[in-house]
Amino acid sequence: MAAARTTGGYLERPRPSGLADVIDVILDKGLVIDAYVRVSLIGIEILTIDARIVIASVDTYLRFAEAVNRIDLKDSDDSQGLPDLLEGMTSGGAESKTKGALEGIKGALGGGDDDDDDDGKEKQKSGSRGRSSSSSGSSSRSGSSSRSRSRKSS
Amino acid sequence: MPTAGDASVYVYGVVSAADRSDVSVGGVESADVRTVEHAGLAALVSPLHADELAAAREVRAHWRVLEEASRGATVLPVRFGTVMESEDAVRGQLLEPNAQEFTELLRELAGRVQLNVKGDYDEQRLLREVVQASRPIAELRDRVNQLSEAAGYYDRIRMGELVAAEVTQRRANDEALALSRLEPVAVAARAEPAASQSGAFNLAFLVEKDELDAFSEAVGALRAELGERITLRYVGPLPPYSFVETDLGAGAPAWA
Repeated sequence: MAAARTTGGYLERPRPSGLADVIDVILDKGLVIDAYVRVSLIGIEILTIDARIVIASVDTYLRFAEAVNRIDLKDSDDSQGLPDLLEGMTSGGAESKTKGALEGIKGALGGGDDDDDDDGKEKQKSGSRGRSSSSSGSSSRSGSSSRSRSRKSS
Repeated sequence: MPTAGDASVYVYGVVSAADRSDVSVGGVESADVRTVEHAGLAALVSPLHADELAAAREVRAHWRVLEEASRGATVLPVRFGTVMESEDAVRGQLLEPNAQEFTELLRELAGRVQLNVKGDYDEQRLLREVVQASRPIAELRDRVNQLSEAAGYYDRIRMGELVAAEVTQRRANDEALALSRLEPVAVAARAEPAASQSGAFNLAFLVEKDELDAFSEAVGALRAELGERITLRYVGPLPPYSFVETDLGAGAPAWA
């Protein structure tokens, strides 16, 4: 496999997406099924820019919470009391932060808790690196000017 | 609206039945994801009981189901929030009438992934360059600086107008530049409007999996070429959300 080297000398790779990076794509793209055939297209209320930012933030909080929960604090310290205390503080803190964020959107979005507990997206953690402008992912969706190529419709 | 105990069906996407594998992450409402099959096609679905979704959580579920499903198969993602009456409806009203089109699309998209490349300006730098490059803007700026806020009102509007036009022009140039560098390594490209005020371009590419390294290399070269003027965000691989935009029947989204 050829190495993808940049002129800078490091390996350029796409980074796995965080929700902030793809929320516009998820909400605005994809097959649209005939209104006559579908029961409803739910979630229209979440299409405002503010709601998108909130959703992306919640995803970030949840991934921090998952990462924090995975940390084995005992690994780095053998002493008895301190790790336990730290563990309690850390997980408690993360939990309440996440809860707070979720409570916050419940009112606005009719949201609920997230029982996110699988490890299937370990690799996404790297996605939190360098997302300085995650909120700018929320955009105006005014007339996507898809060019280059328009597919025939059925 | 479904009555209690009578689930409607949430639809995530369509895969080839031959490629489908079980999705282990929970779907919307934490329900197990199953498939409805017809003519070699499989729709990924899960039962839905509520008539109102906890949006923030369910966007995430939708996203992750498609992400997992697309690891082993080509998926045609369905737009978030699509609910049909029953599994029979999914079979009879989604898969059956569109079987040929879905099959062709799946064949066309097989072995290909979507990659998004967004560029963001360093705003201070951009504005400095705009002022330095335009004599009328520089002159207006000098004049406005010497006037009171009220007296300079129309000059400021005029200056802002010129700056906006200049920024729009630069966006178009930089979008064209990025496309010219990356499109040769991609199967197809879509340009979306820049997402924010400091956004330079917002591009989606369909790329052969086998060409991923070559594409990444081109992105790296573009990053080097743009230097500090534009910061790139390179995200993916994603299911081909931006390349399945065929309207099934008259189904324009309600908010379009």
